[in-house]
Amino acid sequence: MKPAPFDYYAPASVEEACQLLADAGGGATVLAGGQTLMPLLALRMSQPFVLVDITRIRALRGVSRSGATTRIGPVTRQNEALADATLQQHQPLLVTALRHVGHHQTRNRGTVGGSIALGEPAAELPATAVALGASVEVRSVRGTRTIPAQELYFGPYATALEPDELLTAVDVPEWPAGTVSLFREIAMRPGDFALVGLTGALTVADGVVTRAGVAWFGMGPTPIKARQLEAALVGQRVDALDAGALTELAIADTAPFDDLHATAEYRRTVGRRVFAAALGEALNLRKAA
Amino acid sequence: MDDARPAATTGRYIGQRVARKEDTRLLTGRGVYVDDVGVPGMLHVAFHRSPIARGRIRSIDLSAARALPGVFALVTADDLARFKVDMLSFFLAQPVVPVPVLANGRVTYVGDPVVMVVAQDRYLAEDAAGLIVVEYDEEDPVVTLDDAKTGALVHPDTDSNVAAATGAEELDEDLEAALAAAAHLETLAFRHQRISQSPMETRGVVAQPHGSGELTVYLSCQGPQLCARWFAQALELPQTSIRVISKDVGGSFGLKGQPWREEVAVVLGAMLLRRPLKWIEDRLENLTAANQAREQEITLRAAFDAEGRLVASHADYGLNNGAYPQGADSNIAVMMFLWGAHKLPAFSFRARGWFTNTVGLAAYRGPWAIESLAREVLLDRAARRMGIDPIELRRRNLIRRSDQPWTTPMGLELTDISPAECLDVLLQKVDVAAFRAEQAAARREGRYLGIGFATYIEPTAGSTGVAVLMSESAHLRVEPTGTVTAVVSTHSQGHGTQTTMAQVIADRLGVPYEHVEVYEDDSSRGGYGSGAYGSRQAVAGGGACIRAADLLLARIRESAAHILGVRTDDIVLRNGVLHVTGDKPQTVSLRDLADIAYGDPDRMPDGHAGLEAQYRYRPPPITMTSAAHACIVEVDAQTGFVKIRRWVTSEDCGNMINPAIVEGQIAGGLAQAIGSVLMEEVSFDARGNPTAVTYKDYMLPTIFDVPEFEYHHDASMPSQAEGGFRGVGEGGCIVGPPTLVNAIADALIPFGELELELPLTPARLLAHIEQRPEIARPKPAEASEAPAPAADAPADPVPVAAAAHNVPAPSAPQEPFAPASGARIDGGWKFVLSTPMGPQAFDGRLATDGDQLSGVFIMNMDEAHFTGTVTGNQLKWDLKVTKPMKITLKYEAVVEGDTLTGKCKMGVFGSAKLKGERVKG
Amino acid sequence: MSEHAIQLTINGRAHEARVESRLTLSDFLRGDAGCTGVHVGCEHGVCGACTVMVDGAAVRSCLMLAVQANGAAVTTVEGLADDDGTLHPVQQALRDEYGLQCGFCTPGIVMTLASLTGATPATDPDKVMNALSGHICRCTGYQGIRRAARRLAGLAPTQGAPTHG
Repeated sequence: MKPAPFDYYAPASVEEACQLLADAGGGATVLAGGQTLMPLLALRMSQPFVLVDITRIRALRGVSRSGATTRIGPVTRQNEALADATLQQHQPLLVTALRHVGHHQTRNRGTVGGSIALGEPAAELPATAVALGASVEVRSVRGTRTIPAQELYFGPYATALEPDELLTAVDVPEWPAGTVSLFREIAMRPGDFALVGLTGALTVADGVVTRAGVAWFGMGPTPIKARQLEAALVGQRVDALDAGALTELAIADTAPFDDLHATAEYRRTVGRRVFAAALGEALNLRKAA
Repeated sequence: MDDARPAATTGRYIGQRVARKEDTRLLTGRGVYVDDVGVPGMLHVAFHRSPIARGRIRSIDLSAARALPGVFALVTADDLARFKVDMLSFFLAQPVVPVPVLANGRVTYVGDPVVMVVAQDRYLAEDAAGLIVVEYDEEDPVVTLDDAKTGALVHPDTDSNVAAATGAEELDEDLEAALAAAAHLETLAFRHQRISQSPMETRGVVAQPHGSGELTVYLSCQGPQLCARWFAQALELPQTSIRVISKDVGGSFGLKGQPWREEVAVVLGAMLLRRPLKWIEDRLENLTAANQAREQEITLRAAFDAEGRLVASHADYGLNNGAYPQGADSNIAVMMFLWGAHKLPAFSFRARGWFTNTVGLAAYRGPWAIESLAREVLLDRAARRMGIDPIELRRRNLIRRSDQPWTTPMGLELTDISPAECLDVLLQKVDVAAFRAEQAAARREGRYLGIGFATYIEPTAGSTGVAVLMSESAHLRVEPTGTVTAVVSTHSQGHGTQTTMAQVIADRLGVPYEHVEVYEDDSSRGGYGSGAYGSRQAVAGGGACIRAADLLLARIRESAAHILGVRTDDIVLRNGVLHVTGDKPQTVSLRDLADIAYGDPDRMPDGHAGLEAQYRYRPPPITMTSAAHACIVEVDAQTGFVKIRRWVTSEDCGNMINPAIVEGQIAGGLAQAIGSVLMEEVSFDARGNPTAVTYKDYMLPTIFDVPEFEYHHDASMPSQAEGGFRGVGEGGCIVGPPTLVNAIADALIPFGELELELPLTPARLLAHIEQRPEIARPKPAEASEAPAPAADAPADPVPVAAAAHNVPAPSAPQEPFAPASGARIDGGWKFVLSTPMGPQAFDGRLATDGDQLSGVFIMNMDEAHFTGTVTGNQLKWDLKVTKPMKITLKYEAVVEGDTLTGKCKMGVFGSAKLKGERVKG
Repeated sequence: MSEHAIQLTINGRAHEARVESRLTLSDFLRGDAGCTGVHVGCEHGVCGACTVMVDGAAVRSCLMLAVQANGAAVTTVEGLADDDGTLHPVQQALRDEYGLQCGFCTPGIVMTLASLTGATPATDPDKVMNALSGHICRCTGYQGIRRAARRLAGLAPTQGAPTHG
């Protein structure tokens, strides 16, 4: 289990990184924290000609705010993000999700942007980005573009990123006061990818749901945005919600599968329960607050 | 509790929680595992392995790999053809089918090594392995036990896929009648998933040729002495030329009991290329190409009378041997111990091991453990259906100390088992009534608690029937510096035998523990022993250390008495100092005595120099360990997740050398038990491709999956072995699974009787809770199913048979008896009997007198005489043996020309194939 | 394949080396730097045996390239005990509690615990215990590891009285 040969570059700037990606003509892979990529290299499931290590690019690290948006540098380590005061204050769902990413040791290396750019369908951060309506800034020698997280994922590890493109920022909208988090993860062991994962936020004002963002992980080939649920929630009075109907809508967009560890039916069944419990808890918290 | 129970004894070191000698080096990163060994000129090995489970190799193109800079050699089966290799079993028996070192013409499982790449480093070796192109004619593989029964032959030169068989092919009519007539018949059928032993250190070897034909092999193994012997015998090299060194080993659990294909390829490669070679198995290889264990099916039927007393039982058992098992196996120990602790009047079984196109079978901690799982789960079910408390049902059937001696239907002679007494202790620690109240209250809240119990007995430190397991040795000396050095045939892969053996020696001699150093890592030092196998080291190694220490102490005291002119009885060695009592009290340090012993031997008794002693100890034939466990779980009915809330153990492990190490063995076994019940599974797709090839998918328990264990040793009684020790290496892994399964089943009884499909993943448990049928449940063969025509059935491990005048074992006749007139019977014969340990060859003579037959088997300087009858060319004779148990072996054979073909019926153990060839001239 | 000059400190000692781009940090530490206490158990980041400290943080050395450690301060299990042989408190606790058997997973566990305990203010005990989920031990059933970790995290070594019976 040794990686196949590759050339390694550690550019100091985004421009340099983009040039390297462009020059490689599709044969390059971006290395951030490496906690998912390195196993793929060791197993020779990934055999790039060029590895572009972006962790030396200082501009890509750290958390900042602009207006009602939190910007996270993609090479911000997951544990750094977890301890970041700005994220704790303005992105509580993201912090909760980060707590479930891998293990302490992998979070010391793993990055926020790496997880979001890879698109593992059972991972916490891509789904959370989708749920919160985040977007990613992507740069290449051809220019800069912004991709909404919900348009980023095509399938397992398949994203809208072109081979020459570099994810340079994760922009997460800050949800208003009165927002509650929904987060549940069912995994075989701590740190494993989810069998069933739910992540989302609800904003309630004057007893009415004004904004809803909910996504699933481990429930399909990509993070799954619960569109039908979101549509049904917004505008509803909290005390008039039909939990049963919402639960069915919550899983309506999922496309779970059988794998070694659980059946699709298991995922649907537990998904329903997880959603119902999370919704109930969130609204109770809301009432208590 | 038994009145006559002697108290377990402790000493200054024996019985104490002494800090481990191994830990300082291991905690500071100074251990020496095989990958830490480097020698000048060493090259690195990777294997190109088969990507298909079954097929013929059409061509191998090495050109691209050969052209890669840094590649030193590419070795195929053709290159190794010059070596004669017999891939022996652990018992050093010939394999049932020839096992190629590298794939030779055919591939038989995904991962089958085809080409050995030798390169400057492992990275380059893997690069080259990826450039090798092999073309195959792929064939449909035989993957599952069901496939094996109906599919093509795994090995085309055999006549069936039965690798090994024991027990009766036909159902016993009397037994069937007893089962049918009983008040209650319980049937349990299930399949056990395949398990990867998964030591944290994978397999590995460094082979260094040097001198003229000498070879040093650094090996991750379970015992350097046995492995050196294995190499010497398998490669037909003089043992003196092979030195196996195995310092620190990162776990084994049965996997590394003997060298296997890759290790042998590396050793041969080093000899071929005259360069030191290193191969360190990577985890992908370990999870796909290292031998595995446990894939089994069993249908157990047990009948009870109206009071819940066992009347009769029958077991039908199948075991996936893979393509090349490390000893073809139908695992007779399963049958020996299934009801080994129970008052069962009648028992019969059929057990078969099957070849498949999967990686081969190796040992795993408690290889026969399914017997406890099947029995204990069946007992709980029967108890529920009969309306008897499951603890009460066990008590009615367990053999208590006061019932012994007791001989089981399988011939097991019990003298000091105590599972019932362990259960008594357990019930003092677990308030079942209080739990039932809590369980009832919880159920009303929709929470599902369950309690599970299991008892078991475990044969440890066996020294009967298996030639490689008879004894262990200890060589002790007081060094000229006054410290004590011990070379013992034990070996640690985590067992801490450097600690426990030093405790025993220090305690027995009367020297400080810190003054005793134990060496067990080098086949060139000390004497033969099997190392860690069959939970034997405390008993067999500890006994050797005690006896050797006693001899050494006698030598020390006699020497001191002689030098000082006092009586030997007046000398006591305490804490490394000789205390002289009597008229002239004084003290002498061991160092001072050693100075004289080595530097001034004229002052020693008879002028002999040195202070040394050695002893080879053979423990009693079997030392039994017993236990009862209980665990309490909560199953989340919303998600199917199991939370283990409490686990209580109670065992009779005899005198303990170090309770912390005893508890460590129990805990480690229990963690593996939890893994096998809840999450571990080696799985294959229909084409035989392994599907859990990383630790993301092959799930091992984490710290959050294993609860704190409570230990109670109150029932412990010294064994008959020297020191009163009993083995504890495998028990947790045997009794753990039924304890946990029973607790889960108890928790989920409101949803009906839990069908046992391992592992009990959340998805499977939730399917049970929800009564959803969509999860496929394999249906193991019913006992009444017509037996597959198993024309050929070679070996399998029956301690019985092997010991039977070093002979027999099971299998059916290959051809029907065909009378032919005028066959010559009289004269010398060379026989081969397919014993459980593999084929055994021996000489014999037959003589006829009219219709009377007389004969003798000659083996290992022993003769077994018999008489029988002759009808035409058909012979019949009986041979009574007493070891390891009394049994009459019934032989039938037919002579045609210069060959003799027949079988040996071995009572409940079924029959073994006998072949004879006339000695010419 | 590119080659790179790297400079780093290993257990406080400066190292310079030329490494191939694909060389993992674990293989570099073992092969080039002689830190064979870094154990490679799975090479895909699950077992945790290869855990070392990079700039004070516990990381999987199999999931890092050697070239990525350029400029870093790496601590391995060899770097913890005092020169006189006195064990680090983590090592001593594991020894006292029989927290190891075969010792193969041990260096990684030592490094995780050493990175999280002994600090002022003390690390949240939950964080210490949760971090142990990133280590697989096949021998001990985690009993002694848990006792040692709980002590190091300022908790009682065992959880105390059973809840049933």
